[in-house]
Amino acid sequence: MMSDLDYAISQLRACKPIPEPAVRELCYKARELLIEESNVQIVDAPVTICGDIHGQFHDLMELFRVGGDVPETNYLFMGDFVDRGFYSLESFLLLLCLKVRYPDRITLIRGNHESRQITTVYGFYDECLRKYGSANVWRHCCEVFDYLALGALVVGAGSSISDTDEIEVEVVGQFGEVISRMKRPEPSTTATAIGGPPGSGASGSAAGTKGVNNGAVLCVHGGLSPLVDSVDKIRLLDRKQEVPHEGAMCDLLWSDPDEIDGWGLSPRGAGFLFGADIVKHFNHINNLSLIARAHQLVMEGFKEMFDSSIVTVWSAPNYCYRCGNVAAILELGEERSGAGVPWSATDRTTVVRPGPGRRYRVFEAAPQDSRGMPAKKPVADYFL
Amino acid sequence: MSSTPLRFPGPNRFRSDKEKDQTPEAKDRVVQQTDQDASQSRLSAVETGYLVDPFARAFVEGPVQKKLPLINRGTYVRTTAIDQLVTRFLTSTSSRKQIISLGAGSDTRYLRLLTTHRAAAASLLYHEIDFSAVTSRKIRALTRGAPSSPSSPSSLVSELLLSPPTALTDDALASAHYYIHPLDLRTLHPGCALPAGVERGLPTLFISECCLIYLAPQEADAIVRWITTDFSGDVGVVLYEPIGGEDAFGQVMVQNLAARGIVLKTLKKYSSLERQRERLRVLGLVGGQEAADVDFLYECWVGERERGRIGGLEMLDEMEEWRLLARHYCVVWGWRGGFGGWEGAWPVQGGSRV
Repeated sequence: MMSDLDYAISQLRACKPIPEPAVRELCYKARELLIEESNVQIVDAPVTICGDIHGQFHDLMELFRVGGDVPETNYLFMGDFVDRGFYSLESFLLLLCLKVRYPDRITLIRGNHESRQITTVYGFYDECLRKYGSANVWRHCCEVFDYLALGALVVGAGSSISDTDEIEVEVVGQFGEVISRMKRPEPSTTATAIGGPPGSGASGSAAGTKGVNNGAVLCVHGGLSPLVDSVDKIRLLDRKQEVPHEGAMCDLLWSDPDEIDGWGLSPRGAGFLFGADIVKHFNHINNLSLIARAHQLVMEGFKEMFDSSIVTVWSAPNYCYRCGNVAAILELGEERSGAGVPWSATDRTTVVRPGPGRRYRVFEAAPQDSRGMPAKKPVADYFL
Repeated sequence: MSSTPLRFPGPNRFRSDKEKDQTPEAKDRVVQQTDQDASQSRLSAVETGYLVDPFARAFVEGPVQKKLPLINRGTYVRTTAIDQLVTRFLTSTSSRKQIISLGAGSDTRYLRLLTTHRAAAASLLYHEIDFSAVTSRKIRALTRGAPSSPSSPSSLVSELLLSPPTALTDDALASAHYYIHPLDLRTLHPGCALPAGVERGLPTLFISECCLIYLAPQEADAIVRWITTDFSGDVGVVLYEPIGGEDAFGQVMVQNLAARGIVLKTLKKYSSLERQRERLRVLGLVGGQEAADVDFLYECWVGERERGRIGGLEMLDEMEEWRLLARHYCVVWGWRGGFGGWEGAWPVQGGSRV
């Protein structure tokens, strides 16, 4: 199987579909692997967190060029691999191959498009039918969707992305050029922070210093749910099913943060809108420093909200070959000083935990004729 | 973090095709083909339940192409917003009036009016103007099928029209109430010969849905000047057009359409709601000018219940993309005289939620 797998990877990297029996075999192996995963996978930093891909295969290749290849870079993809783009099949199967080949170097969690119902409306079903002449491959893939984790918890992320400086946020372009840097503010002496108990490793400063227990980073495709007040509640869900129309599992994949107080109705018709108060409370009681999520197109590739307690990461540049946006991935480094303490859901030492050091790599769409791979001329729909 | 510099794609990023050397005829053909896009979009919106239009199927050649939910929603907003303006004009008084649809293509609005406002249509003179290549396709659709079959399109002509055609050729139709003119719009300018049956003294509403945008600015302006100088009664104009060609979305739109040979020639000049209103004012629609983008029209002109119905038709999960797209299309309307009760008839408030 190993050589078969490597062959499949090489085929898919060239954007060529693999035969139906190979897909069946791959999906079987992937299910065996994913069934062992928790609803909320624990992932150790360093890790590169990615948002929606949506079948934009050539842009996924661009992402790997910018962010490094698997297995050298440890990746976490927050769902929406399929639909909208022309190469959902190749994109998803490649990610799945990499998952089976390097299970500890890539984490895939479920997006709202990893669903039977949505893929029949938004293109993946049609694409499978077109490329294989039957819906078998689509069916195999949907069975894998049901086993994907609902979220991930990144632990051990460092407070700075630099060895020498306390750089909290760095934005880097697709050629590695630094676009902007933000230093972590000096530790303040104001009363906004509550000192950690002895031995917790907390500095007593909301601004944080090296060696702080930064709290974990919860990664989920959409956002929070009024039915879920703790990460442990997510662990209790029965995820191995089609995405339901309502309920906690649905909300995690469908909800959006918004400038409101509390909870609101979502214009998407599924999930909820949730405000800063919800995020800050959730992060506090779950000992999180940040929620990373995808799900919403942001023109700049990423968008931090609510005092950097939540970030949207979007990884499909020029979305649908129409939107003109840039894409981003989020790199979290590992704690260098070694003084960090293991994450514990019950360690609630500060009001607002200092976020981990964050490097956003921003990139544009791959050139049309990139690397000689077949690239169907995009025909984006407009009103004519 | 809000100070992150934006790095939008430059003008050369997404060019997927080299600019083709095209003859003027080939360029016209590309514009004519946009009519099939519009018909397909309308049929998709009808079959999904957004719109009721028993005539949509008759004007589509080939199988139904299912459009994405956001395209269906846009088609719905465009159609219903213009319907509101048209209906208000049509029902404001019982006196005789005229509608002239520029680049009408396979538009079904007149046929729909005949079923929904048949009484008002009796005092209406309706003209459609488009390239001969387009009107001939329409005439074919209107007369196609077995006359014996009551559901065939041929019954549209024989049964639906208020008056029998006095002239019917491959690409033209004339009757007491309805005309189809095979005419290049670029021949319309102040002082030009009026198309047959057009009355310059009647209160007249002009409609252009994605039509003037394909003409050079001076050609498009000449048509509006023709409207405001050669027609002596009250006149109103409704435009439906893309705007906002200067941002990242707009740049990609321009390039994607250019790759299909479609050039939005007045987009740059009339790139905002403000400029669109100013356009109509300067060209003589001095009674009033309003403009609203499609996002605004959906949120503010469509009632809450109806929005609930629309939202329930199919899952539109891409809200950001929808808003982006919907904010790049607008309806603009302006008038001269006490035109059709348009003034203050709808909420506008700047016409955008941005």
